[in-house]
Amino acid sequence: MSSGARFFLLQIVALLLAILFGALVGSAILLAIHKNPLEVYGLMVRFNLTRADSIGSILYKSTPLILAGLATALSFRVNLFNIGVEGQYYIGAIAAAYVGFAVTGLPRAIHLPLVLLVGVAGGMLWALLPIVLKLRRGAHEVITTIMMNAIAGALVLYLLEPGLLRDPAQAGTPRVRTPDVAPGAQIPSLLPLIHLLGLRVPESSRLNWLLLVGVALCVLFWWILGRWRFGYEVRAVAQNPDAAEGAGIANQRIMFLMFILSGGVAGLVGLSDVLGYFGYYDIDFPKGYGFLGISIALLAKNNPIGVIVAALFFAFLDRGAQGIQVFAGAPREVITILQGLIILAIVVGYELLTRYIRAQRKREAQVTPPLQPVVAPAGAGEGSD
Amino acid sequence: MDLLLTLVSAALIASAIRLTVPILLTALGAVFSERGGVVNIGLEGIMIMGTFGGAAVTLFVARGFPEFTAAHPNIAPLVGILAAAFVGTLFALIHAVVSITFRVNQIISGVTINLLAAGLARFLNILFFRVSTQSPGINGFTPISIPLLRDIPGLAPLAKSVSPVIPVALLLVLIGQWVLRRTRFGLRLRAVGEHPLAADTLGVNVYLMRYLGVLISGALAGMAGGYLAIEQGRGYLEGMTQGRGFIALAAMIFGNWWPLGALGASVLFGYFDAFSLRVVNLRIPYQFITVLPHIATILVLAGFVRRAQMPTADGLPYSKEEE
Amino acid sequence: MESPEHFIELRGISKRFPGVVANDRISLEVRTGEIHALVGENGAGKSTLMKILYGLYQPDEGQIVVKGKVVPIDTPRQALELGIGMVHQHFMLIPRFTVAENVILGSEPTAGGRLAMEQAVQQIEALTRQYEFVLNPRELVANLSVGEQQRVEIIKVLYRGAELLILDEPTAVLVPQEVEDLFNNLRRLKEQGKTIIFISHNLEEVLEIADRITVLRGGMVVGTVLAAATTKAQLAEMMVGRPVLLQIERPDVPAGDVRLSIRDLVVRGVRGRPVVRNVSLQVRRGEVYGIAGVQGNGQTELVEALVGLRPVAAGEIRVDGEDVTRQTVRAIKLLGVAHIPEDRQRRGLVLPMEVRENLVLGYHLQARFTNGPLLDLPAIDAFAQERIRAYDIRVPTTTTPALALSGGNQQKVIVAREFAFAPRVLVAAQPTRGLDIGATEFVEQQLMAAKAQGMAVLLVSANLEEVLSLSDRVGVMYKGELVAEFGHGEASPQELGLYMTGTKQQRAGAAAGPP
Repeated sequence: MSSGARFFLLQIVALLLAILFGALVGSAILLAIHKNPLEVYGLMVRFNLTRADSIGSILYKSTPLILAGLATALSFRVNLFNIGVEGQYYIGAIAAAYVGFAVTGLPRAIHLPLVLLVGVAGGMLWALLPIVLKLRRGAHEVITTIMMNAIAGALVLYLLEPGLLRDPAQAGTPRVRTPDVAPGAQIPSLLPLIHLLGLRVPESSRLNWLLLVGVALCVLFWWILGRWRFGYEVRAVAQNPDAAEGAGIANQRIMFLMFILSGGVAGLVGLSDVLGYFGYYDIDFPKGYGFLGISIALLAKNNPIGVIVAALFFAFLDRGAQGIQVFAGAPREVITILQGLIILAIVVGYELLTRYIRAQRKREAQVTPPLQPVVAPAGAGEGSD
Repeated sequence: MDLLLTLVSAALIASAIRLTVPILLTALGAVFSERGGVVNIGLEGIMIMGTFGGAAVTLFVARGFPEFTAAHPNIAPLVGILAAAFVGTLFALIHAVVSITFRVNQIISGVTINLLAAGLARFLNILFFRVSTQSPGINGFTPISIPLLRDIPGLAPLAKSVSPVIPVALLLVLIGQWVLRRTRFGLRLRAVGEHPLAADTLGVNVYLMRYLGVLISGALAGMAGGYLAIEQGRGYLEGMTQGRGFIALAAMIFGNWWPLGALGASVLFGYFDAFSLRVVNLRIPYQFITVLPHIATILVLAGFVRRAQMPTADGLPYSKEEE
Repeated sequence: MESPEHFIELRGISKRFPGVVANDRISLEVRTGEIHALVGENGAGKSTLMKILYGLYQPDEGQIVVKGKVVPIDTPRQALELGIGMVHQHFMLIPRFTVAENVILGSEPTAGGRLAMEQAVQQIEALTRQYEFVLNPRELVANLSVGEQQRVEIIKVLYRGAELLILDEPTAVLVPQEVEDLFNNLRRLKEQGKTIIFISHNLEEVLEIADRITVLRGGMVVGTVLAAATTKAQLAEMMVGRPVLLQIERPDVPAGDVRLSIRDLVVRGVRGRPVVRNVSLQVRRGEVYGIAGVQGNGQTELVEALVGLRPVAAGEIRVDGEDVTRQTVRAIKLLGVAHIPEDRQRRGLVLPMEVRENLVLGYHLQARFTNGPLLDLPAIDAFAQERIRAYDIRVPTTTTPALALSGGNQQKVIVAREFAFAPRVLVAAQPTRGLDIGATEFVEQQLMAAKAQGMAVLLVSANLEEVLSLSDRVGVMYKGELVAEFGHGEASPQELGLYMTGTKQQRAGAAAGPP
C-alpha cells in the first residue's frame, strides 16, 4: 500500500477513534442520568435509518451545514479564522428576503438567481470589514468577526422593526417577520428529483435544490484548490507566507479573495430555511449554523469533499438528537456535548497524526544515502593555508 | 445637555464600574495567559461555565443549608464564586492540555472550548433545573459601603451598596501588575512568552509556566462569570456573557498586555456597557446601543494593534526537542 | 582536594533521532584548564553532543563523567549545578529584557518571592569588572551590538558559577577585531582556571586559540590532536574523510557589459530610518560581486529591495538596462533575476509541499507548467525529474515533501530551480550557511558556473573567506553604506575587517562610525 493511501486510512482511523471517544463520554453522561447508552444509541440509529421522514430530514438539515462548513473551511485554508459565518448568514438571509418580497413581478428564472446573488453579496459585505482590518491594520479576525456577529444580530433586530422590514400583516400577532417572498424567489423543492431516484421522502419535506448547490460548490472548490494554479498559491500562502511572497505570489490578494468567498458562501447558509422552507425571514430564524460550520470544517480538515461527509454526519446526529429526546427522554443536549467532544478529540488526533506522518516522511527520505561530496579534480592536493 | 449630564453622572460611573468587573477579571486572566505565550480564545466559554457554575453552586448551598444561609448570607455566594473560579480552571486545563501538551493550534483549541462550553452549560442546566436557558434566582453578596468615599456627597452611588467583589477585583489587578513586574514568577512567565527556548536553556520549565498562565486565566475568567451571575444577573441566563470574553481580549490588547493597562481599557468598555443600558430615549435605535461595546472593540483593534507590542512568542507552540 | 586532570569525560555517548544517528559511541576527555576545540562539518554531531552535555538532550547510551564522578545530566539546571555552562551560537537572549534580567533568569536572587534586582545588578557589575568585560546591566539587550550580546551570554554562565564553558560557533557572527577581543577574553578566563570547549568549523581560528582539537565526522570521533602538532589541511581531511579542495577554481571569464546597475539606492527599515544609504554598484556579465559585512548592516535589505520584497525609497535599479526599481516580485523574477534567499526554509521553500511543487515555486505561472487555470502536473513532474537528475538531488520521489530533505539537498532544490530559466542576474544571499563541506563545494561551484554562463552574480556572505575567494570584486557594507570596494586579491581579511567595523573609510570625508 502506498504511503499516501496508508496515511489517508490513518486519518479515517483517527476519525473513528474520536467518534468512539465522544460516544464513550456520552455514555457516561447518559448513565449519570439513568439512561442506558446502548439503548439510546440504538434508538438513535434506528430512528434515523428506518423512519421515512428521517432521510429527508437529514438531507434537509445538512444543507445549511454543508454551506457553513464550506464557508468556514475556505477561510481556514488560508489560515484565517472566519468565526463570522454566523453574522454573515444573518445579513445574507435578510437581504435575500428583502429582495425576495420587495421586488415583484419578476419571473423565477431571474428572481431566484437574483436573490441568491443578493444573499452571497450580503455575506461578502459582512466579511469585508474584518478582512480589510486584518490586512491593513493587523486586527485579529477572530475577535472582529465575532463582534460583527453581535452587530449583525442587532442590525437584524432593528430591521425587523415595524415600518422597516416587518410584515404589517402580522400586526397583532407575536410573529415578527418579513413579508412572504414572491413565489418566484422561492427555491424549488428537490422532491421530484428525489422521488425519481426512488428515495422515499414524504411530501412534507422541504428538501430543496440548495442542497445540490451546496454540494456543487464543494466539488468546485475541491477541484480549484486541488488542481488550479490558484489552489497551489493558496496552499503556499497558508503553509509558508514568506516563501509565497518570495515566489512573487500576491499573499494579501489571495487571503482577501478566500475570505470574501468564505463570506459569500456564508451568505447562502440561511437561504434553505428562508427561501426554501419558511418563505420569509423570522425573528426566531435558526441560529447557530456558524458555529456548527466551524465544527464541520475542523472535522473535515478543511477539505471541501470532507465537508459534505461531516455535514451529513452532523445532520445525522442532529436528527438523532430529536429522536432520543422524544422517544428516549434523553435531552438532546447530550448530542451537542457529544459533538463538542468529538471535535476536541479529533483536533488532538489530527495534530498527532500530522506529526507522525511528518516523521515518517523524514524517515522515508533518509533511506537514500546522504549527499556525497563532489570528487575533487585530479591534482588538487592540499589547499593553500 | 441632559445627555452630557447623564454621561458623567455618578450613577452611570458606578454602573460602569459594576459592568467593568467581568471584562476586567477576564482581561487580567488573558494577560497572564498571553504573557506566557498562549492565546486563549476560549475565555468566553470559560466565562459561560463560570456563570453556570457560580449560579448553580450558590443555589445548592442556599437551598441545601437554608438556616445557615439565612444566618450567614455571604457564604453561599462566596462558595459560588469560588466554585466558578474552580470550574473555570478546570476548563482552562483542557485548553492547556490540548494546546500546550498536544500543540494543537491555540485558536482552534480555544474555539473548541467555546463549542463545548455552550453545549455543556445548556445540558447541565437542564439536568439540574429542568429548563435549558436559565436557572432559578439567587441572592448575591451583601453589598458593602466604602468607608471614606461614602461621606462625599454626590458620590453616593459609587460608594454605597457596592459589591464586595469590586474592590477584590481591583486588588487582584494591582497584585497582578506587581507579580508580573516584580516577582520571579512574573519574570519567568514573561520570558516564556518572549523566547521560550532561551528560558528553557536556563532551566525554566516552559510547559509549567504556560500551564500556570492558562490556569490563572481560567480561574479569573471563571470568577468573572461567577460575578456576572451572582452579583449582576442574580442567576444564570443563557447568553448572559454576551461576548465579554472576546471584548476582554480586546481590552488586553488595548492595555498592551499589562494588568494596569487592561484596567483602563476595561473601564472604557464597561462604560459603554453601562451607557447602553441606561440611555433609552435617544434617537439612535436601542439595538445599536447594545452593541456599542462590540463596535468599540473593533475600533480598538483597528486603531491600536499596530502600536501595541505583544509578547514575541505569543500563539506559537513550543516543543523541547526540535524536529 | 586537587581537581582531577579531566574535567569532563564522555564515554560511549550515542544519540539517535528518527532516521539519523547523531552521535555514535563518542568518547573523549577534556582536561581542566584547557581550551579544547570540537570541529566537524554541519551534521557531524557537535551540536547534539554539546546539547547532551548541557542537559537539553538525553543520550541513548553512554556515560558522562564530571570531575571523576559519573553523573546523569537531565536538565540544563543540573548541568549548571555541575559547573557546565553553554554559550549558544544563536543567542538565547530576550531582546525586550535588560542585560540583568537576561542574566539572572532561572537563577534569580529573590527576597521572599520578590526579585532582588539591585542585588543582581551589583553581582553582575562585579563579574564584568573581574573579567574586564564592558557591559551595562540595565541596558536593554535589543540595543546591544552582536559582540556585546555575546558577552552577555558569557556572563550568563559565569554568573552561575560555570567552571566549564561551552562556546558553540562563537565567531560565526563576529568580525576579525571582535574575534580577537573574544580570544583575549577566553585566554583571561583560562588564566582564572576555567575550562573551555570551543565548537567551530573555522579551522584557522581553532588552530589559533585551542590547545587540543577533537574531530567529529558522521557522529563519530575521528581523533584528538594537539593544535601545535597539526595543520589546517590535516584537520580538513579528518573532517571530511578525503583530501579537500580548500580553494575553489574561478573560471577565467572576461567581464562583459553591465547587467545589474544599482544607483544611489535608499531603502528604509523599521521606523522609517534608512538602512541602505545611497548604495551604488555595478555587476557585469560574467562577474561575481561579493558584498562583505557583518550581518545587520543593510545587506539583507539591499537584497530584498533588489528582488522586490522591499520598497525602494530612492534611487534606481536596472537589469540589462531595464528599470526594475518599483516592480513587483513576480515581474522582477520574470525579467530574469534569480534569488537564492539567505533563509532557505523561510523564504525559499514551502516545506510541507512536494519537491516537484517546490521546484516550480515562483515560476508556476509559466505556460509550460499550466493548462489554462489548471496546473499541468505531468509537465511539472517531468521538469522535476530532469532537475533532480541534473543536480543530483537525493530524494526518493518527486512527491516527497521538501521537509524530508537534508539542508544540502534543500539548497540544491533552490539552486536547481533558480538556474532553470536562464536568469540574467543571480542574487545569492548566504548560500552556504548551515551546509556541510560537500554541499558548500557544490554551491560554490554552481556560483562559478553561473559566472561562466554569463550571469551577473551578486554574492552576499558573512563568510569572509568565501567572499574573498569567489568574488571578482568585493564591496564592504557598513551601516547601510558601501564604504569600500576592492578587486580580487587587493585586500586582506584583516583590512576588510577594518572597513566592516567602520574603523577605516575608503571614501574621504565620509562620517566614521563608532569603532
